[in-house]
Amino acid sequence: MKRSEAEILREYGPFPGVCNVAGVTFDGRHAWFASGDRLNAFDPASGEPVRSLDVAADAGTAFDGRHLFQIAADRIQKIDPHTGRVLATIPAPGGGGNSGLAWAEGTLWVGQYRDRKIHQVDPHTGAILRTIESDRFVTGVTWVDGELWHGTWEGDESEVRHIDPRTGEVIERLDMPTGMAVSGLESDGGDRLFCGGGNSGKVRVVRRPRRNAAAGGGSATTIGATAE
Amino acid sequence: MDSLITTAARALAAGDPLGALNRVALREDAPALALRGIAMAQLGDFDRARILLRRAVRAFGPKEAAARARCVVAEAEIALVSRDLGYPAKALEAARATLEAHGDRVNAAHARYLEVRRLLLIGRLDQAEHVLSEHMLADLDPAPLPPASQAAHALVVAGIAMRRVRAGEARAALARAGEAARRAGIPALTAEVESASLVLETPAARLIARGEERPLLLDEVEALQASNALVVDACRYIVRSRGVVVSLATRPVLFALARTLAEAWPGDVSRDALVARAFGAKAADESHRARLRVEIARLRAMLRALAGIGATKRGFALAPRRGAEVLVLARPVEERHAAVLALLADGESWPSSALALALGASQRTVQRALDQLAAAGKVQSHGRGRARRWMTPPVPAFATTLLLPAILPGG
Repeated sequence: MKRSEAEILREYGPFPGVCNVAGVTFDGRHAWFASGDRLNAFDPASGEPVRSLDVAADAGTAFDGRHLFQIAADRIQKIDPHTGRVLATIPAPGGGGNSGLAWAEGTLWVGQYRDRKIHQVDPHTGAILRTIESDRFVTGVTWVDGELWHGTWEGDESEVRHIDPRTGEVIERLDMPTGMAVSGLESDGGDRLFCGGGNSGKVRVVRRPRRNAAAGGGSATTIGATAE
Repeated sequence: MDSLITTAARALAAGDPLGALNRVALREDAPALALRGIAMAQLGDFDRARILLRRAVRAFGPKEAAARARCVVAEAEIALVSRDLGYPAKALEAARATLEAHGDRVNAAHARYLEVRRLLLIGRLDQAEHVLSEHMLADLDPAPLPPASQAAHALVVAGIAMRRVRAGEARAALARAGEAARRAGIPALTAEVESASLVLETPAARLIARGEERPLLLDEVEALQASNALVVDACRYIVRSRGVVVSLATRPVLFALARTLAEAWPGDVSRDALVARAFGAKAADESHRARLRVEIARLRAMLRALAGIGATKRGFALAPRRGAEVLVLARPVEERHAAVLALLADGESWPSSALALALGASQRTVQRALDQLAAAGKVQSHGRGRARRWMTPPVPAFATTLLLPAILPGG
């Protein structure tokens, strides 16, 4: 396992009217973040807010190329990003207690916070396909270049971790500075990871280190990017 | 930071404890226990709330110090609201320090405000003011506290100002509290501010001047204190003029003489009348007259800076310095045990032994008076045995608002 300090490239926010950032995602143009009673989009180049959708948005956020997925209480909602309309709802695994959400190759990945788990979930039924155990509270989850990354937040400490999706083994750890929480995680498809900053009300960008192709596990079946 | 906790916390913040409970009723993890505890407290089930919060403290992991501290603060607030004033101040202070160290300003401020409120409730006005002023210095921070905290803070400021007879300051603080309560959108808080404001519209004292009486509001009492008049204050057993205060709280006979002379001013009072009022004697005999001469001489010495006492043909008359007006301030309703109430009028808490000492009465007499006053709701006590302290009831309804700290993500 490689361990290093997280390199923070940029900070966005705090945004007006936002006291808590939950899930984050990226639609290829704008970054989105959940802030309790709405989803907010901003331009990562300027950091300016672009628009927002009035939907319950308590935890993880994901984008499948066309729709936003958002955890609200004990449900996962599929949302039309243009209208903000909720198109479908599936139960969240474990009846709630979920944090992170990611989309990869046809399935959803859901972080279950205090249970320290990540579930792979059928996006149509909500059925749990498999479960990965972690040894830390799990927040954001994201896939990039066949790598599964997730955030941890326990007490005052947060990390961004790259794990083996089959075994849950930690391949790489980026330690966040003390007091900087990671509440949500999303890759921009490249070397940048957007990190929700919890009750700081900020979104931070952490550099995803280039890794030796032979060093880690990866998954042959779930190579994909979250963005169009 | 998980979805149901966030939703439940949002429901709680919006004043919907049942909605919050619906989300986490069946969950036994630490944040859920904490939220359930706070919801139960808002619903008034303090015992259950306390148990849940203690379980939450135990369930949070060793790294979740801030989350545990928030539970401690919540439990302290429940203790305060249920008038368990013996709640360990040290635990609260430790929790406050933890929250500050973790950058949780809002809950740290809440902990501090609870401490000030406890001091106010147990009659430690000086200490309460001291902590409050430090608090204000610590709050010179650009990020403002949430409206509910601002309202609670302003209520405490108003409570101290009322006890200190600073009506203007109390009124301004209540206006701030009302405004903040409206922004917070918590009806119970708005109602609390309104009921506290009623105190300012209720007579705080009675003015007796040149044979006439009228009720006075707190503002008028404050204005009177700033005036040049010579005020014989029967609420506090003091004589005051131009900022000079002579306390006669421990000299009931001298105070009775001063008040009798002041009520008659600018006229004089006969020796018989003075003897009757001060010594309770029906007719003055020679020994009474001798004692009166002694007491008048003592009073003359004590009031030297404020007024002279001239002898007249039939008795004595008050002669205030620099031609000041003479006024008497009395409680709205004269009642028995006025001397005990006068001592307690400073808003501080007193042990009965100190009251007995100050009044030159036996502990038993003072205890009887306190029991009667307590039965009439005019005084209250806290603590047990030797630690028991007495004070006038706090400014109404100041200890009922349950705001409880936010147990939001991060904890």
